Amino acid sequence: MRPIIGITTYVEPASWGVWHDLETTLVPHAYTEAVTAAGGRVVLLPPDDLDADVVRVLDGLVLAGGADLTPSHYGAEPEPLTDSRPRRDAAEMLLARAALAADLPILGVCRGMQVLTVASGGTLHQHLPDVLGHEKHRPAPGIYGTHDARFDPGSRIAGLMGDDVEINCYHHQGVADPGTLIVTGRTEDGSPEAVEDPARRFVLGVQWHPEVSRDMRLFRALVNTAAG
Amino acid sequence: MRRPLIGLTAYAQQVKYGNNDLLAGMLPMTYVKAVHATGGRAVLITPDDPDPEILESLDGIMFSGGGDVDPANWGAERHPTTDTDPARDRSELMLMRAALDMDLPTLGVCRGMQVMAVATGGSLHQHLPDLLGHDEHRAAPGTDPLAADASAYGRHDVVVKSGSQAHALLGSRLTVNSFHHQAVDDPGTFTPTGWCPDDRVIEIIEDPERAFAIGVQWHPERTGDLRVFAALAEAAAARVGPGRRALAA
Repeated sequence: MRPIIGITTYVEPASWGVWHDLETTLVPHAYTEAVTAAGGRVVLLPPDDLDADVVRVLDGLVLAGGADLTPSHYGAEPEPLTDSRPRRDAAEMLLARAALAADLPILGVCRGMQVLTVASGGTLHQHLPDVLGHEKHRPAPGIYGTHDARFDPGSRIAGLMGDDVEINCYHHQGVADPGTLIVTGRTEDGSPEAVEDPARRFVLGVQWHPEVSRDMRLFRALVNTAAG
Repeated sequence: MRRPLIGLTAYAQQVKYGNNDLLAGMLPMTYVKAVHATGGRAVLITPDDPDPEILESLDGIMFSGGGDVDPANWGAERHPTTDTDPARDRSELMLMRAALDMDLPTLGVCRGMQVMAVATGGSLHQHLPDLLGHDEHRAAPGTDPLAADASAYGRHDVVVKSGSQAHALLGSRLTVNSFHHQAVDDPGTFTPTGWCPDDRVIEIIEDPERAFAIGVQWHPERTGDLRVFAALAEAAAARVGPGRRALAA
């Protein structure tokens, strides 16, 4: 039986066919296609903050991208450009903590890396351009920034990426304090791009979007661990 | 005791949200909220899967509304207005047959009810306006069905067969919303137990031989009447722990 991989969803007003701005649970299909191609069986997880019992049926978890995390989850006040979805955040933090406690294989993508970090006691910068002095991590609406990353030798991400260092960024927030995770990848400006928990079976967060570039290495690694 | 885990069949569809226009796995939140409100935990199943093993992890399943089922599934010619998604049909027909085989509590909503009929050898009427001479199953009179939102849905009564599971659940008559241009013709191995009194269009099918297998042609998740969702959740909960009774028929 293929490993069951949960992928967290967004909740947004969406339009299709005759429907306009209907509240919808959704996730870009690229995530599902990547996990399926890597040999996993996907279930999508709409936010549910009652309990995280669903972890019981999962063999692995993808924390997907999306809006900013509500800063109260890391003890901060919201800054002007922080745009969050509190209900998704409450549910996803509950799920992330339960998945970590259960030592479930977890891949965090973009916002997902930030959720993993905060669930591990870390904190975020709410607007990287204020910290770094440039907008290269989110050059313009819909325009990804291309960067070369440096990965720590011996880290999981270095092993997966090999000599490849090019990543596609689209984020305005970033990891400040990694909590109990370690930072294993950074862009040239020092901004964290990968975090890991070496004490667990498979906990990896990446700040970029491997599902957009159809980079199967990370998804395959998650699914293989989940199957094992 | 944990909440029953209810799978909801979801679409892979081109959608616009915010500045995005992309293919997404998705489902209107009304379905998720209906499951949550009746005590279940909702997860979505998109049509990528070559096998039904996921059902073993679920306590119940709901087949959602959406587009038309390919008439090739019952050997009919396609009507000009029939609009299909082959990947979704393949996936849902497979899941439906497997769910029924393993007696997983199953609820079909709108298209979902039609999938129940087709999966068990039945057939559909492809365009009710041709059959009935009116479009009131898809839109309130005077509204454009292709420009619809929930406020422009049709409405009509449903009469329910006494002694059926549906009758125990819903009573002998109720008013429902309506947004469909196709309907069940041959219900396959299911038994029709509810009809529109104006034109006898089948509105409810059930299989009393199974733990819980009911289809409704309307959209209960868009209303305040979630009794069919509550019944699904209760049947699913009965699988979770001993000592929990399923809804009595």
